[in-house]
Formats: sequence, C-alpha cells, structure tokens
Amino acid sequence: MKLRPRGFGLILAVAGVALWLLIGGTGRVLGIDVGAFGVALLVTLAWTSLYAVSALPDGDFERQVSPGEWRAWVGVGFMVIALVYFLAKLPLFQGEAFGHAHHASAVGRNLVLLLIAWAVLDRVLSQRWKDRVQSDERDRQIQIRADRSGHTALIVALVTLAVTLGFSPLDRLAWASHFMIANLIVAALMFGWLVEYLTMAWQYWQDRR
Amino acid sequence: MAGTPIGNHIRRLRFEHGEMTQEALAQACGVTRQTIIALEAGRYAPSLELAFRIARAFGLGVDAVFHWQGDDGA
Repeated sequence: MKLRPRGFGLILAVAGVALWLLIGGTGRVLGIDVGAFGVALLVTLAWTSLYAVSALPDGDFERQVSPGEWRAWVGVGFMVIALVYFLAKLPLFQGEAFGHAHHASAVGRNLVLLLIAWAVLDRVLSQRWKDRVQSDERDRQIQIRADRSGHTALIVALVTLAVTLGFSPLDRLAWASHFMIANLIVAALMFGWLVEYLTMAWQYWQDRR
Repeated sequence: MAGTPIGNHIRRLRFEHGEMTQEALAQACGVTRQTIIALEAGRYAPSLELAFRIARAFGLGVDAVFHWQGDDGA
C-alpha cells in the first residue's frame, strides 16, 4: 500500500468533518458530546496520518511533490484549522479577563495540542525523507517571497485593527476589552502565517503546473 | 510563475549522458528533483553556483548548458 491522492482526499474530508464538529458541536447526540467527538476524531486522524507517513512506502504521488511543497501544504492545513477554530471561538473570550479565562484556556490548550501534532508530523516527515535533498536554493527563494507576503498580510491585519479601534465611536467598542484585543492580535499573527504558507504552496504549485 | 530569459539544454544533455534521470542529476547537484523539473520547464533561473554544478555534472562548461534567450538577443 502506498500514499495515494484518494487516501489523501479522504483524510482531508474527515479532517473537515472533525473540524466542523469541533467548532459547531455544542450539544449531545445519542448521549455523546459532539465537540468532544470532534476532538477525538481529529486526534485519531492525526495518529493515523502519522502512522501512514512513517510506515507506508512512498509512491509516485509523493515523489511528484518536493519536501518543501509538502511542508507548505501541511502548514496551510494546520494554519487553516487553527485560525478557523480560533476565530470561531473568539466570541467566547468577550467578557473574560486574564486569570479567569476558562474558555480561553481550553482554546489555548487545543491550539497547543495542534502545534505539538504539527511539530511531530514535521519530525516524522524529516525522518521519512532523510535520504533526499530536503531544501535547496529554489526553496530558499520561495521562502523569502512567502516571508514578504506574510509580513505584508500581518501589517494589513494590524493596521485594520488599529484603524477600527482608533476611529470607531466609543459606544461601538463595547466588545473591545483588553483581553479581546490581545486575542485579535494573536489572530492577526496567525493570519500572517497562513498567508505565508499559502504563498509558499501557491508558488510551488505554479512551478509544477 | 513567468518563464525566465535563461534557456538550457538540460533535458537533451541528460539523454545524451546515458538517459540520466532527473533524480540522479538532482542528487549530483544537491538539489531536489522538482528544481530540475522547474529548470527544464524554463520556470526557474538557477544561481551561478547551481549553473556551474549542473554543467560540471555533464562535464561541460556553463555556456554549453545555458544560453540567453531574452528580448535583446544577446
């Protein structure tokens, strides 16, 4: 058995369903907490993917794509999940304060879990491709251009936030607690990283087309 | 991504050198196979160092592998 596009599509589809359950799942179905089921599904999927990339032999599908491009797409996937999850849970932060932010702690814990899964996956991929050249001058050029795009996106997001805070009438800024602003700055950072990975993946894809 | 003004004969030279695979050339030059693919498709212009590495892999000079195909016809 090898890594194939169909298997890859199946993993993405299940990840989408798990994310939807994680974000939207607040109730119970047949006595099961839908949100917790979403988390369990994502964790199972992460371990299945790790097993697949560590145990299965590589095929043509995998060889067509450079290690740098794989990393870029993995980065896009993780950043999309993290940012969508974070933005979906943002309203929960309203009214919470540092030290008593129970919802924020839960969201932070899930995001850290996601980061750990990402780091582990990256490590496993490095081991898998240890006999191949993993990056060269073209990867470095693509990285530089992607860094520039991510930096621009971060500036745009921060300026948008600053303008919103600076020019909105006070009565419309009831939502803007210092805790909420802190979380919005984190969201802006995540947006910058997402644009960076998207730019990287797009450039690799353009080179290959 | 736009094409580059630097053309090359890498594909032909690979076949003339015992049908060398893209992977073998990539390993000889310390780059990924996808970089060789991008070079052959004219989507990537190599650094001077990589141009020399590729030329050395074929036992040729840089000008035998790469040529200018820009607008000014130089």
